[in-house]
Amino acid sequence: MKRRLLVAAGVAAALTGVAACGSDSSDDKKDNKPAASNAPAAGNGKTVRVWLMKGSAPDDYIAALKAKFEADHPGAKLDVQIQQWNGIGQKITGALASNDAPDVVEAGNTQIAQYGASGGLKDLSSKVTELGGKDWLTGLSDPGKVDGKTYGIPFYAANRVVIYNKDLFAKANVQPPKTRAEWLDITKRLNTGDQQGIYLPGQNWYFYSGLLKDEGADIATKSGSAWKANLDGAPAAAASAFYKELQALGKAAKDGDEKTQPEVLAADGGKIAQFIAVPGEAETIIKSNPALKDKFGFFPIPGKDASKAGAALTGGSDLMVPEASKNQDLAYDVIKLINSDEWQTKLAQATKQLPNKTTLSSAVTADPGGAAMMEGAKNGFATPNSPNWASVEDNNPIKAYLTKVMTGTDAVAAGKEANASIEKTLNTKN
Amino acid sequence: MSASKADAVVATPTQPPRNQAPSGARRATKPPRKPSGIVKSVTPYLLVAPAILGIAFLLFYPVVRNVMLSFQHYRFKQLISRSADYVGWENYQEILKDSEFWEVTRRTFYFTAVNVVAVMLISTVCALMLMKLGKTMRILVLVGLVAAWATPVIAATTIFKWLFRSDNGVVNWALVKLGFDYEGYTWFGHAGSTLTVVTLLIVWQSIPFATLTLYAGLTTVSTDVYESARLDGAGPVRIFRSITFPILRPIFALVASLEVIWIFKSFAQIWAIAGENGPINEVRTLPVYAYQQGMSAKLFDMAGAISTITVVILAVMLVFYFRQMFKQEREADK
Repeated sequence: MKRRLLVAAGVAAALTGVAACGSDSSDDKKDNKPAASNAPAAGNGKTVRVWLMKGSAPDDYIAALKAKFEADHPGAKLDVQIQQWNGIGQKITGALASNDAPDVVEAGNTQIAQYGASGGLKDLSSKVTELGGKDWLTGLSDPGKVDGKTYGIPFYAANRVVIYNKDLFAKANVQPPKTRAEWLDITKRLNTGDQQGIYLPGQNWYFYSGLLKDEGADIATKSGSAWKANLDGAPAAAASAFYKELQALGKAAKDGDEKTQPEVLAADGGKIAQFIAVPGEAETIIKSNPALKDKFGFFPIPGKDASKAGAALTGGSDLMVPEASKNQDLAYDVIKLINSDEWQTKLAQATKQLPNKTTLSSAVTADPGGAAMMEGAKNGFATPNSPNWASVEDNNPIKAYLTKVMTGTDAVAAGKEANASIEKTLNTKN
Repeated sequence: MSASKADAVVATPTQPPRNQAPSGARRATKPPRKPSGIVKSVTPYLLVAPAILGIAFLLFYPVVRNVMLSFQHYRFKQLISRSADYVGWENYQEILKDSEFWEVTRRTFYFTAVNVVAVMLISTVCALMLMKLGKTMRILVLVGLVAAWATPVIAATTIFKWLFRSDNGVVNWALVKLGFDYEGYTWFGHAGSTLTVVTLLIVWQSIPFATLTLYAGLTTVSTDVYESARLDGAGPVRIFRSITFPILRPIFALVASLEVIWIFKSFAQIWAIAGENGPINEVRTLPVYAYQQGMSAKLFDMAGAISTITVVILAVMLVFYFRQMFKQEREADK
């Protein structure tokens, strides 16, 4: 342990030297700074700009983080800018290509590979050991890699669970199900009158890819150098047939996705028995409709049999440092702070999202939403690891595929069309 | 687009230049001071320079850049590293070999043809109807047309998207009330119905301009011609075929060619309706395809090549149109 600290201090000191190039106050700095084990990079009136996504961290967490960082780095300022999800891909692309990029950028875990492959991100492979990378959730760290190099540092994870209305379950005298068959059964019983058994928009492809995984297939697999998509096979048809059956037990649109779900749930006022979302969405809904407080319970997406929960696509975010950042050492210090056990635990407790390390899972298991999420995370999986995957999501043919199946088109025929589009995108050379 | 349409209206050959001559003449009679030769010759250029520079920067530069892009290997990596190699016609070869491109091109032509025919037919009927209306009704209809024209594209598109929503759209509600089985019908689940809604939207947006222009043309035709035709026993169809259409042929050609441009390059309507949740790969036209390749797939070079091809196709079609128009004008003069 001591030796690792020494090495870390040495590395940090060397970095400090690099950062001090071009500034003439390097002497003062040496005096100011105690020989702390974490030896932070020099502040020198620099402002570190961090882009976090809306909803990733609460305001008081950001304020505390800022205070801590600025105390550790006298003279430096931390400027956290909250970004909207809508249009973020183009905004990050523009930032990476600019001369004036932010220093730390959060991006969805499935998006990192394209940025890494573009050459716009700093290779952080040498930091993985120091950051405790062996304990990272693989659903976050694997998509952050391109050709074995790490560009994305796991930030937090979340996967989808079933959120249910406890009152409606009690009234119908049903229990959270353990298998798909039970799930269909209780949902049918809950779907009566103006009450919806489940609110499931037709285009929740995150949920669909979990069903597909349970059937033993991935959206796309690489054989040799070429990608092959799997939406025309028997597993895909079985997964979409189950989706269709479940979707019909509610009134959600077959041609919509889950983006407006929180608004629908908040406006509905307790007539929807179940919906599929990350547990944090319950908070969002309660915020806009306080009458729903304490009404929500959580259970993992049921598996095919009771032995294990359904597979869950790991969602979440990674942090990355643009090559064009002017304060890369300070940027790394921000990431290091956020990655520390203390700040990961704080974040997980505040947001009910999974911390980035498996060793920290106790931070959320006390929370019912977190516990349900952990069950699903045991069978967690990631999207196909290709720099082009982000382009598939950008123009997602799985959504159109699902709507077609929901509205009666043959699953194999619809799957062939979606396959062609996915394969073309994944197999495009950059 | 609306600006260029408006300019075109002013430049319509049937409209006589009314107030230019008098005001110009008045000014010429009383020159305040005679400028010296060099100032006189330079001033006009100085005056138009800002406009020329603006156009050069906002129009020529992007077009030139786009064409350059289409001859480079320019993707995400090159965007970041800011160095790209010229690859000659490689991008064009790749696109022209791609069956997807030809499918999209075919669809763009069909889509444009259906829309332009619908717009021209409906607008002609509307313009003829406007001629027959009384003053109050005519003003009401004109106000309605202008209001439809003034609705921003995205606003109108959003409203159409809501009208045709599957779960709580007013169109499905009305159809169900009328006894049709349209409960929860997903208009944006399939290519055919999606294109139908997009066509309705684009036709609705195009009609005001076409109708108003044709109506303006109709008002210039002397009523004597119609009276004598009626005296000779010509019915309304015959009058339209033998009098109205031949006289207004240049205006019809002009409106039609402007509509071809407008519809061929329409992007926002298709993208906003089908881009996020619709069957976009089955309804995309060339501009949408170029955008997808550029912004979603980050193949900026392919997007450049596709949009350059789109511009070339449009230019060729319009050259054909204008040649036809000028030929007819020359024949009319003889």
